[in-house]
Amino acid sequence: MKANQVIIGAGISGCSIAYHLAKKGMKNIVVVDKSYLTSGATGRCGAGIRQQWGTEANCILAKKSIEFFETAKEELEYEGDIEFKQEGYLILATDKPELDRFSKNVKLQNSLGIPAKLLSVEESLKIVPYLNTSAFVGATFCQTDGHLNPFKMTEAFYLAAKRLGVQFFFFEEVKEIIVENNKITKVITDKHEIDTSVVVNAAGGFAKEIGDMVGIDIPVFSENHEILVTEPIEKIQGPMLMSFTQNFYCQQVPHGSFLMGRSTPNQVHSHDISSSWSFLDEMAKTICHIAPKIGELRVIRQWGGSYNVSPDKQPIIAEAENLKGFYIACGFSGHGFMFSPMTGEIISNMILNRKNEISPDLFKLNRFSEKELNAVEQSVV
Amino acid sequence: MRIEKHPILEFSNHQEIAFFYNGKEVLGREGDTIASALHALGIKELSKSIHYKRSRGFYCAIGNCGSCNMTVNDVPNVRTCMTKIEQGMRVFSQPGKGELI
Repeated sequence: MKANQVIIGAGISGCSIAYHLAKKGMKNIVVVDKSYLTSGATGRCGAGIRQQWGTEANCILAKKSIEFFETAKEELEYEGDIEFKQEGYLILATDKPELDRFSKNVKLQNSLGIPAKLLSVEESLKIVPYLNTSAFVGATFCQTDGHLNPFKMTEAFYLAAKRLGVQFFFFEEVKEIIVENNKITKVITDKHEIDTSVVVNAAGGFAKEIGDMVGIDIPVFSENHEILVTEPIEKIQGPMLMSFTQNFYCQQVPHGSFLMGRSTPNQVHSHDISSSWSFLDEMAKTICHIAPKIGELRVIRQWGGSYNVSPDKQPIIAEAENLKGFYIACGFSGHGFMFSPMTGEIISNMILNRKNEISPDLFKLNRFSEKELNAVEQSVV
Repeated sequence: MRIEKHPILEFSNHQEIAFFYNGKEVLGREGDTIASALHALGIKELSKSIHYKRSRGFYCAIGNCGSCNMTVNDVPNVRTCMTKIEQGMRVFSQPGKGELI
């Protein structure tokens, strides 16, 4: 069979890219996934969307993505509820140096039109009253940040893409990508041989392995990040609570459950996504320190998922410099879900040779080999 | 309803314990769980389903199902099938998911 583009990965990035390409008139697009829709990092993510970043690139990606989410239900003609809520992110600073860094971040964010602001401890308590006041010295808050249901959002992209003629092959694994004379000619899966000259690598945790198939070394690694969810309770928290130094994020989702995660220090680089008792222990200690009230809730379950991490914690959204037709959307470092509309927009414009509003240099693959690395994103959990 | 006579087991006279159900003082027996005491009093509805608000009663009786979740002494979602009654305990049925604050 033949396809104009083969997209590897049916997570949020792959589905968004497929939708944006099809919307711009491309025909004969195939999406291949080795498992089911949202089976990878998308379906395991913390489901937050925020614009409060420390680098310009991440700020712009986030802002434009949120603009898309605001009208996504209508644009994608989705019948379900994507559970979009904009009740903000409250990011706690735990010491003076962090507060100073936040103050710089807020200036950057405001200069880009993101309505973030610095808050005192007292002002923060008006938003989340049960915070432990001795646990932080100040905070930043952005009202238009929020939450989305990753399963519903991905399905919205998926259904819209399907209506536009995109074909999805699930439970089908890409085994080989044939390159002849430095051109892609074929994608071989365990079920099909697909003639194509364009491949989009949106394989999330396995993006590096897909790069290896065409001899391109993508400088990313995968690492297990764990999350837990509590029993549901009537709504008490609007915004996502977060702290980089305390290493946690915690959100009450519309269903009423609290979803919270932290990163494991010195985590080994691997595809492991198992759950550990030590995460449960550390997560419980952290949340009991920050917001003891939430510690009274019972934990229902926990799980893990892969962050695909790049050297500067910012995504690679690019066409490979050494292999035309090989596009890469990976290395989101835990934030691929919230950037997905822009991922689709940028990659589709690249494929169609259209100009992107945002400079592609910020996300190119070979930026890491250059002497001056982009600013490294510090605002990550 | 309680089993008063049993071919093998004996039920010695347990002490009565007074507690509050939805603000009204009621009596259970020493050793009762909240759910068993309410059941003996003929109170079959312990909670309501979250979405459709249908009645939920004594079900698994081992603390797994959540059917008997009630607010006890201001703590929401207490598994009343696993919690023994105490003198003066305040037990309230919960309209929804329960309120933490």
